[in-house]
Parts: sequence; structure tokens; C-alpha cells
Amino acid sequence: MTTVLSHYLDSVRENLRLDVSSEGEVIHELETHIEEELQELKEAGLSEEDAASTCVGLLGSARMVARQIYEAHSQGSWGQALLAAMPHLLFGLLFVLNWWRGIGWLLGMLVLVLSMAVYGWWRGKPTWLFPWLGYSLLPVAVAGLLLLYLPPEWSWVAILFYIPLALWLLFSITVKTIRRDWLYSSLMLLPLPTIIGWFLAVEPVHNFPQYWLQRIQDFAPWIGLSFLALAVTVATFVRLRKRWLRVSVLVVSGLITLTMVAYYTEGRLSVPAFLILIVVMLILLLSPALVERTLRHAGQKSAA
Amino acid sequence: MAQRRELIKGSIDSLLLCLIGQQPMYGYQIIKELKERSQGYFQFKEGTLYPALHRLERVGLIQGKWQTLPSGQQRKYYHITDKGLLSLVEKRSQWQDFLAAMNLIIQPASE
Repeated sequence: MTTVLSHYLDSVRENLRLDVSSEGEVIHELETHIEEELQELKEAGLSEEDAASTCVGLLGSARMVARQIYEAHSQGSWGQALLAAMPHLLFGLLFVLNWWRGIGWLLGMLVLVLSMAVYGWWRGKPTWLFPWLGYSLLPVAVAGLLLLYLPPEWSWVAILFYIPLALWLLFSITVKTIRRDWLYSSLMLLPLPTIIGWFLAVEPVHNFPQYWLQRIQDFAPWIGLSFLALAVTVATFVRLRKRWLRVSVLVVSGLITLTMVAYYTEGRLSVPAFLILIVVMLILLLSPALVERTLRHAGQKSAA
Repeated sequence: MAQRRELIKGSIDSLLLCLIGQQPMYGYQIIKELKERSQGYFQFKEGTLYPALHRLERVGLIQGKWQTLPSGQQRKYYHITDKGLLSLVEKRSQWQDFLAAMNLIIQPASE
């Protein structure tokens, strides 16, 4: 196959953002089409180069073809939508039903989240995996928060072990997710601004952990509600076909949940903190697109 | 030309179901058949055929199966499903009603 056609197929592959097996099948189908067309054009008297460029012209823009194929494949079933929304739903119920104080419930949730994340990761990274993956990183964040309350002489534990390990883990999982599709990385990071918002709103200034636990208890129904709102967002995301609609849903949901945090905590989240959280949310949800572009350029340079 | 493209876009599902309903076909063959049978009217960017085929496959109206030819070449043939046949019957009837109504308006009434 000529360079023009290889580039064409590479461009389709880069913009498809499907799971590995679907991607392979789509590319193979286009390859068989191209081979047949190329043969016919050459039999009609065209040179190899002319036949290749005619073939590309007849196929149409690689980006457009990839986008349309993505839209044909992207919509998940209602079952997949429910499975993807499940971690948010369970997390929300944990607070709404006041189960968050029961160590059994927390451990059960942790085991379920980790099992689902590992299962999905080794089963081709389907769409439903990414919300589970986000929650599987929660113990890392919680451990970091708890380290803040260690005696000062123990801070070397955080500096030497926790911070490098946590950053490596977060970075490697996020990059692998972005390689699949940057939107899934945003889906994975979706609850983070809400969690940070609630953490800032219930932040203890003294008497940790009693004061902190009391505040969580006070806000538990609203914390639960905000995670149930995230569950609705994720289900909607899975059912949508178009990428711009998926991005919009994530951003709007981030704004709604942060507004809920500010509203229900009645001023405990200051206006500057609220605005900074919105900026953080936009960076978390949209920066994976930039990382994806950077990774792609780096990949193209190394290939060249 | 843009108008024609819109018309084709709106009727692509019916066209594909109709062709595949007659016999299992693969992508390149469908393009050729559409062009030939319509005497060149149905011409579009070939790459856009596949999203339409995949969409129909996802909703269960057609089913794609890979076949290997004696030459070793592979082709993905699309077959119509029972659900696709029902949909085709419905689409045919809708088209006939639409064409009849259009003709009543467009064609000058014979006195």
C-alpha cells in the first residue's frame, strides 16, 4: 500500500477512538475497500500514485469518516450506562443512606470498585470502566489527606514514599486512559472537583477527626445528592453519540455539582474558593485533550 | 449538489437495506451497485458509506460477516436480519406513500 494510503488509514485510526478490536475491524474493512478500488483504478490505466490519490479523494476526509464511524459506535446501551453510573450511584447512596460510617460498607465498596476496575482494564477498557477507575484511585487521595494530619516528624513518609508513588500511579493511569480517548480521562476525573469541593467545605480547623466527621454527617444527604447527579451525568454521557455533546455534559455537570456544594454548605465555600474550583474543574476535564495532542505529536515525531 | 447530498443522506438507510435485502453485499460492491443502478445519481464520498453500514449493524438491521475468498482476500459481507426485513417493508411503504403524495403535488394536473 502506498504512503498516501497508509497515512490515510493512520489518520482514520488516530481519530477513531474505539476499543482495540472495533478499531482493528474498521481499519481492516477500509483496507479491503482500498485494495479493491486501487486494483480497479490501476486496471483502468492509472499509475500507482494517481490511483492512490484518486482513491483517497473518493473516500473523503479521514477525520470526517473517523468521526462518523465513532458516532455510529459510541452510543452505549442502557445496561452499559447503568454500569458506568453505578460507582457514583453507590457512592451517593453511601451518604444518602448514612452507610459511610460503617467500615463494612466502606470495605465492601472498596473491594467492588477495585475488582471492577481491574476486570474492565483487562477486558479492553470499555466505556463503563472509567468511572470505576476514577473511584479506584480514591484510596490514594484519602491516604494523602490523612498524611496531612500526621505529626510533623512523619512528613518524610509523605515526601519520600507517598508523593512520588501517588504521582506515578495517577500519571501512568491517566496517560494510558488518554491514549484510549481523552474524554474517558475526563470521565474518570469527573468526581474529583466535587470531592475537593466537599473536602474544602467540611475541612476541619481543629479537633480532627471528630469535628470533621460531624460536618460530613451534617452534609451527608447533600454529598449523596451531588454524587447521584454525577451518576445521571455519566449515564447521559454513555448514551450520547456526539463528542461535543459529551464534553458539554461533563462541563455542565461539573458546574452544577460545584454550585450544589456552594449552595448547600451555606457560604462555607468562599466565592474565591468556588471560582478557583471551577477553574480546577475546567482544567481537569479539558486538559486531557491537550495531553492527548502532545502525546500524539511526540508519537508522530518518534515515528518519523 | 448540496441539495442532492442532503436527499441521499436522508435516504441512505432505505437504500442500503433495499440493496442488502436483495443479496448480501460488501462495502465496495454497494458503492458500485448504487452508482450503476441510479445511473450515477447516487455518488457520495465512499468513506461515509461505512458509518451508515455500522449504524445499521449496531441497531440490528443488518449483520456483517467476514468471508475469505479462494484468493485469500477477505471481505465483510452484510446480510439483512429479520428486524431489517421488517424495517425494509415499513420503509418501502413509507416511500411509496411519499412518492405518490409528491407526484400529486409536483406533476401538473391533467385536465
